[in-house]
Amino acid sequence: MTDEAATAGAMSDATEPSPAGGEAIVLDETIHQPTRLRIMTLLVSVPEPDRLAYGFIQQTLELTGGNLTIHLRKLEAAGLLVITKEFEGAKPRTWIQATTTGRQAFTTYLSNLERTLGVHLHAPARDDRQASKP
Amino acid sequence: MQAFDEGANAMSAEESWQSIHATMDHARSSLYVAGSAAIMLLWGVVTSVGYLSMYAVYTLADGFAESYPWFPGPLWGFLGMAGGAGSGIIGHRASERLAAGAAARKAGMRVFFYWTTFTVGGGLILFAGGLFDVDQWEPPVRAAIGLVGLAYILFGVLTRPVFVATGAGFAASFYIPHFLLDEAAMAVSGVLNLATFVLTYAWIRRTGEW
Repeated sequence: MTDEAATAGAMSDATEPSPAGGEAIVLDETIHQPTRLRIMTLLVSVPEPDRLAYGFIQQTLELTGGNLTIHLRKLEAAGLLVITKEFEGAKPRTWIQATTTGRQAFTTYLSNLERTLGVHLHAPARDDRQASKP
Repeated sequence: MQAFDEGANAMSAEESWQSIHATMDHARSSLYVAGSAAIMLLWGVVTSVGYLSMYAVYTLADGFAESYPWFPGPLWGFLGMAGGAGSGIIGHRASERLAAGAAARKAGMRVFFYWTTFTVGGGLILFAGGLFDVDQWEPPVRAAIGLVGLAYILFGVLTRPVFVATGAGFAASFYIPHFLLDEAAMAVSGVLNLATFVLTYAWIRRTGEW
């Protein structure tokens, strides 16, 4: 999948409640899922172009192999990560690496999340001010 | 283990935020403890061999101990270097197996410097405190055991609680027999110490915590 296609995929998103009359904040639905969010967090917690072993992700996140594989495929289909299979001698090894698009999508997700939390944190204060008006 | 459940998607912004922070913390500490199960077992064997060697020398070759009262120094120096080299190799292989790139290298270096700081710093503290005396090996050993136990406990506080238990077990397996017993103390310490590290190894392997 190309970066453009991935970005387009990332646009099918979950909309968070907006402040009264404000702009709706959009969270990337591909990432905004408990397991996929943890996978992406793990992958972007190492600098580019570092990659993590499949077993490391599975053990760190305490996931079953089937569960991890399903979510990895969804993220790979969205272009957010790449899965590489290699052989070291006779041993197969699977490596997972966040793509540049994946890192950008995560940064955008984080930014939107911060905005959402900021909205939630400040909204009651605005309501209080409006309620106190004569 | 978390089974696949596509329906379990409901997640608030606050939950997402907390999940991101928790995962980042866990990821960092997971790299730090790479290969720790095997390293734990290695150090359990190394320290127990040290205790049992000292017991053997003092009970079976007391003439040697009298002629060379400084023998614990070279003995522990050799064991420490062997353990350090083995730990480095195991840790390097484990981090290469789990992650590839700068993050794994940095994590490995930080763990290496953590333990080197305790080893070298601990030695300097004992030296500065005037505890190195060829005729009195027990005071520096007692202090060193406390420092190593503390190192494990602090490492556990920063990474995995199992290391806190290991540090406490390591210290207790030395101090308690030496408080209660006389000649057999070192042999009992060797056995208890090995049991502590074998239990830690088994716990790490069973739970999947490296």
